[in-house]
Amino acid sequence: MPTALVNQKPVELQPGERLNCVQAAARVGIEIPAYCYHPSLSVVASCRMCLVEVGETKPDGTVVMLPKLVPGCQTPVKEGTVVVADSEKVKAARQATLEYLLLNHPLDCPTCDQAGECFLQDYSYKYGRSYSRLQEPKQIKPDKDYIGEQITLFTDRCIMCTRCVRFTREISGSAELQVINRGTHEEIDIFPGEPVNNKLAGNVVDLCPVGALCSKDFLYKQRVWWLQSAKSVCPNCSTGCSVNVDQNEDKVYRLKPRENPQAQGPFMCDEGRFGWKYLQAAERLTFPTQKTAEGEGVRDWTAVLNSLRQTVEETAKKSPQKIAAVLSPWMTVEEAYLLAGWLKGLSAQAALALGPVRVAGEDDTYPKDIHGKPIQPVKFTIRAEKCPNHRGVREVLEHFTGAVKPFAEVVSEAAAGKYDLVYLVGGDPFGWITEEQAKAFQKVKTLIVQDLLPSAVLSQASFVLAGGSFAERDGTYINHAGLAQEIHKSVRSPGNARPDNRILWELTGRVGLFHAGNLRKEIAETISGLAALQAGNLGENGVLLDSTEHSAQTAVVQA
Amino acid sequence: MPQFEPVLLARIHKADSTSLEGYRADGGYRAYQKALGMAPADVTKMVVDSGLRGRGGAGFPCGLKWTFLPKDHPGPIYLAVNADESEPGTFNNRILMEQDPHQLIEGIAIACHAIKSEKAFLYIRYEYGRSYRTLFKAVQECYAAGLLGKNIQGSGVNLDIQLHRGAGAYICGEETGLIESLEGKRAWPRIKPPFPAIEGLFRKPTIVNNVETLCCVTHILDRGVDWFKSMGVKPDPNNPRDPGSYGPKLYCISGHVNRPCCVELPMGVTARELIDVHGGGVWKGRKAKAVVPGGISMGFLSADELDTPLDFAGPGKVGCLGLGTAAVVVVDDQTSMVDVLFNCCRFFAHESCGQCTPCREGTSWMRKILDRIRSGHGKLEDLDLLLEVAGSMGIIPGTTICGLSDGAAWPVKNAIKKFRPEFEDYIREGRRSITPAQELMATH
Amino acid sequence: MPVLSEEIREQIRAEFPNYPNKRAVTLPALHIVHHALHQVSLDAIREIAELLELHPSEVHDTMSFYGIFRTEENPYGKRRVWFCRSISCMLRGGEELMQQMCEKLHVHPGETTADGRITVEFAECLGACEGAPCLLVDDECHVNLDEKSAAKLIDELR
Repeated sequence: MPTALVNQKPVELQPGERLNCVQAAARVGIEIPAYCYHPSLSVVASCRMCLVEVGETKPDGTVVMLPKLVPGCQTPVKEGTVVVADSEKVKAARQATLEYLLLNHPLDCPTCDQAGECFLQDYSYKYGRSYSRLQEPKQIKPDKDYIGEQITLFTDRCIMCTRCVRFTREISGSAELQVINRGTHEEIDIFPGEPVNNKLAGNVVDLCPVGALCSKDFLYKQRVWWLQSAKSVCPNCSTGCSVNVDQNEDKVYRLKPRENPQAQGPFMCDEGRFGWKYLQAAERLTFPTQKTAEGEGVRDWTAVLNSLRQTVEETAKKSPQKIAAVLSPWMTVEEAYLLAGWLKGLSAQAALALGPVRVAGEDDTYPKDIHGKPIQPVKFTIRAEKCPNHRGVREVLEHFTGAVKPFAEVVSEAAAGKYDLVYLVGGDPFGWITEEQAKAFQKVKTLIVQDLLPSAVLSQASFVLAGGSFAERDGTYINHAGLAQEIHKSVRSPGNARPDNRILWELTGRVGLFHAGNLRKEIAETISGLAALQAGNLGENGVLLDSTEHSAQTAVVQA
Repeated sequence: MPQFEPVLLARIHKADSTSLEGYRADGGYRAYQKALGMAPADVTKMVVDSGLRGRGGAGFPCGLKWTFLPKDHPGPIYLAVNADESEPGTFNNRILMEQDPHQLIEGIAIACHAIKSEKAFLYIRYEYGRSYRTLFKAVQECYAAGLLGKNIQGSGVNLDIQLHRGAGAYICGEETGLIESLEGKRAWPRIKPPFPAIEGLFRKPTIVNNVETLCCVTHILDRGVDWFKSMGVKPDPNNPRDPGSYGPKLYCISGHVNRPCCVELPMGVTARELIDVHGGGVWKGRKAKAVVPGGISMGFLSADELDTPLDFAGPGKVGCLGLGTAAVVVVDDQTSMVDVLFNCCRFFAHESCGQCTPCREGTSWMRKILDRIRSGHGKLEDLDLLLEVAGSMGIIPGTTICGLSDGAAWPVKNAIKKFRPEFEDYIREGRRSITPAQELMATH
Repeated sequence: MPVLSEEIREQIRAEFPNYPNKRAVTLPALHIVHHALHQVSLDAIREIAELLELHPSEVHDTMSFYGIFRTEENPYGKRRVWFCRSISCMLRGGEELMQQMCEKLHVHPGETTADGRITVEFAECLGACEGAPCLLVDDECHVNLDEKSAAKLIDELR
């Protein structure tokens, strides 16, 4: 296996692997600071922050170093390459580069959003001088709040790394951002009247290493060092982008994509990035109810769950064929497993259906050409299927019922009076049931609705279970490609609402506390299609249902 | 020393120097005929053997660059002619294009045959309107006469020349800056590798050559390798990497001389001879304080360095960046070096493309410091700060993408190192020499 | 009502066969429009972009890099006079010449005379150093000027 050296540390290179110095160094835990370099964008080597000394090892073992510095991001590393990133020359170059970058940079830290996660701050602290020698007035450039609906630009903070421009040209293809003027007068701008409003716009704010491009949604709202991050998955479509949910004091402030080489890479779309405001909607259901003869009645979880359990068990004994449940593709695998397993356990004839899978248009791929047509290779896809766990819920249903019953079927059967008890799990915060469909459930004696927001059918429910959002529970979502990822609770549910996993854990009579990892092991043993969950802990990047390792195992089991 | 008989400038004073008819009457395009009868590789070999080095500023061996093209490439291969001449003090390409356009066109045609290119782009700086019109007419004459286009003179060779006007940016003179500009983008030089010979214009193999270099190619084919090598400076025997400085060279002299002009001489004339013999001596009976050896990017020769031979190796030996464009500018002893340096710093700050950090910020910083010094608020430490900033930028230390930075840094280095007492006096006395004219242009 | 006439569009299209792609026609197209209209407005940029199948931002990006293009906010006048300010001209009084002409015309560099006749600019080395100080009037270079001859030249510009 070829070996290179970075600061005397050996770096193993896989055969055929192409790494640059920055990547090779990262592999052995050495940071080579860089601004303009980004693995998903073209290499421009213009910031000059990653300058290192490089040499090669001759056949006789001597090392010949190049006399000049080279940018680490554009220099490939191969067998015998020696990278020196800690010499005096390199340190001096970094200090010089940082001094240059800070020359005209306004000292906005006290009011700048980026503080706390700013690469200019971090690198200055680690590699820079603590003073500037500029005695002349700084270049002043105007703020531009018209850059995009969601994006504002503090032009004089910009360090001209051009990541944002390259993103709009190479990833989204919409090319809204440009550089204007020349030399020290350069600024990022848009063409007047063509703001950055494409569906991937928010990514440029993530890409900006400093506080130049800021999110209007997040502007001045919170200091990042007060935020706590939970690793999760965006639920808004079946791409299932890995995200970090940032919250403080139980209030979510933003979602940011979390790099996942098995999922979507380092980006996410705006629909997901900004599509979580319902978490704090005033309309959120915040307490459970059970309708009694007198009216709305009981609001106590223990009482409601006990009563509900009793009702279901009784109905299962009396008329087992008149029970139906609709499992939303917004449920986690664990929740679907608990509910389906419990109901089937009580009545083998219980009808289990897949909740409505909302589809909006077609899969939207990027980048796009000048005419708006998608081009190859595809760098990002926003999927038409607007739910996080269609695949996961389907796997569970197929295991318990064979052919998966569509929602429409349950609706018409309920309208025809086929069911005495129907358990509806909502969960899609953007609407999942129409007035028409709701009418179909009027004849159902016992209607249970588990949801987080009101819907057309809510008023008809005998039992209302106030559930949580994706940000309020632990569980597993499986995306379009069969990647099973963990979601983690980040905030508490509002009021007396509860995360769905807890509701179902208690309802189905489980003892102790819900633990996703343990439950996954049980699921893996029970449902062969989900055997990949057997690790319990799926790691940061999730596991593929159909990974070869797993398939080999199933083959052995089947043999 | 016998008067040198010009070759490149032989025809410029003729009444009919720009027409095809006139050119042919003087034997023009016979070198091209000769080349067409040779295999491309043999033409390249001639140019390699001649020792011709690029006259655009870098002095890279021309024939060697041609050999970097990939063998057996399906094409297209492009030739980009660098007529973006913008180095302050330089005007020899302009003279060649305005006065003897066919000499250049013939050189282009020969080069294209050697590198198997069927398309040459002639990138002319915007301000050279007369050159553009002259070349346009000349190119049209060639098409009409079957010297350009398809199946040239029955040889089976095709060649198109496309004139392309620049828009006022010095950085378009940098090879890859020119390429980016020609492709329709902002002229941000590309990172190398890949080099243009591998991936250049429109991502195809491209050779970028200077106007004067291509004119030399014409005469190398016409008069032979031995003729070219019969003049100039042989390689330094102590330096195995020195390719020597052969052939005739156009030297520009301007500034404080009695007879600013462009003169053709064998490579290696000294600055002193150039000034005193060909430039008519320093004007107004004064002496030279400093002399720019090859465009301001190369820095300055001090008064006691005027015997430096102006070949590719000479200026470097006295701390200048190199020969550059061989454009000599004379500064007399009544002119302040602080003012001269300010002019240089202002130029580079204005022309920096802005892509990489040290150049974008450094050129502007150096200009601001000079501004402050010239408004009477300089400090002695500023001189060391200027040296430090100048020392940290350029492709020589490896901190920038292209050589504009080195060019921006060198005048600062030379001026302060060679004229430090003058700078210190200026600062100590709190002198103020910003002119009203300069204040009018202050923001740029 | 499009900003670019059919004639201008034809001139731009005529460049397409000269280059392997349309993007390379950006500078030629800008020159054609700029020469005809003495400015390139935002609408003109949009129309150029459409002809070249580019985003307007890509055309604008390129245009703003170079020194010569004027926008609709400040088109150039009938004649455009560039004074060189680089080393050789500076050493022989080029900057003072520019200042004198600015005073004569009552404008600052970059501005156009009140009657719209002349726009004064400064330029970097025009490559006419043997005739310093020099100036460029549109496409013609004039050399060996002094205050008197420069003033005469400018007075005769129509």
